[in-house]
Amino acid sequence: MLSEIVFHVNGKKIVYTGNPLTRLVDVLREDLGLTGVKEGCGEGECGACSVIKDGKLVTSCIIPVGAVNGSEIYTIEGIRDTEKGKCIIDAFAEGGAVQCGFCIPGMVMATYALLSSNPHPTEMEIRKGISGNICRCTGYDLIVESIKLASEKGGDLWA
Amino acid sequence: MGMTYIPSTLDEALHLRAEKKARPLAGGSDLMVQSKRGIGLAPEFPFDVMIITGLKELKGIRKLDDGSVEIGALSTPAEIADSDLVPWHVRQAASGMGAIALRNSATIGGNIGNASPKGDLPQPLILLDASVVLASIRGERQMLLDDFILGSKKTALGDDEIIKSIVIPDYDFTYLFYRKIGMRKANAISKLSLSVAAVVKDGEIIDFRAASGAAGPRVIRSRDAENLLKGHKTEEIPEIQESFLDSWNNAISPHAMPLYRRNTTRRMLSYFLSAIYSGKAEGIIEEED
Repeated sequence: MLSEIVFHVNGKKIVYTGNPLTRLVDVLREDLGLTGVKEGCGEGECGACSVIKDGKLVTSCIIPVGAVNGSEIYTIEGIRDTEKGKCIIDAFAEGGAVQCGFCIPGMVMATYALLSSNPHPTEMEIRKGISGNICRCTGYDLIVESIKLASEKGGDLWA
Repeated sequence: MGMTYIPSTLDEALHLRAEKKARPLAGGSDLMVQSKRGIGLAPEFPFDVMIITGLKELKGIRKLDDGSVEIGALSTPAEIADSDLVPWHVRQAASGMGAIALRNSATIGGNIGNASPKGDLPQPLILLDASVVLASIRGERQMLLDDFILGSKKTALGDDEIIKSIVIPDYDFTYLFYRKIGMRKANAISKLSLSVAAVVKDGEIIDFRAASGAAGPRVIRSRDAENLLKGHKTEEIPEIQESFLDSWNNAISPHAMPLYRRNTTRRMLSYFLSAIYSGKAEGIIEEED
């Protein structure tokens, strides 16, 4: 039986001894100060709280921290200074993907997961790749274009 | 408010289940949402909970000696959709659940245990006569999923049992069809769903089965309707189709928008039957856009 939850966030070891039902999003934002992780719906539907857990995109609002023992979690703060992260962020800026910006950390994480498994997605694959991320400003087209740009500009980065 | 436990082994989990009646929480996509209290607040449950996400004994998809496939209860829709071992209907349903992030955290055990009439996985599993393996400190038992799900949010799970795995028998169908109807392509709760499968040999319908999801409190399999087609020649379909369709329609719940569900199901079933009748190439019957 576990009495403490040990996991890594952005490469840093975390030992959590509080309520195991605390939502991962709250641990990330409130305890670790990683406020790039946004909470929109709190039901796993909008994708604003998306993080990468053991290489896979998940929504941190529906995951209790007790379920991440032994996991490697990455948030927007953990990838923004990496080559891949910079590639996406630059492409989003160049492509004009950002309006209010609330959905963007989640969009970037979804893009990161998509391009890491599929370096050259078709437009339909891009739209599917961000289908769990809701944006109320852009109408998605400029985000889709920017993801195409990240795929093209990244080149070998994603292979 | 109940206690929360994180068992490290299945054995620990089974003892917690027996002694504390702790309820398993795996992906969180149903329980965490149903009990959410808002930003900064942990969900509260009026019963003891055990977080079983890490239990290795409940993971993995494998082929058994008799050709059937066993899917560990903690398998995610993404793992199921990606597995060559899993039958086509089940992979289709798994690949259409929620969106990517949800498919990486939800579990097949949870989707079955939650027993929502709109759950995506029970429908194709019941089409394929899948059974569920239940574990407790008393041992294991296996029962048909169609018998396990008793009604909306009701199952035959004992209060000391947990769902360990799902076993799907091996079938080789000539024709297959799957369709989920939702308001949008991602993150949609099913309004209606249908799986159909048939074995046709030398122009004779050897096996025919269908399963309707979100069309009543339980997944609908009407053996009476299926039997109306079995043993007949495909060339007889125009003569026997109406009695089959009427019989299937009668199996759909009269309570929830029956006109819509019956008409739509009828159209999908007759589309499938006309494909068989017209001698379409064997395999998946695609919908026409």
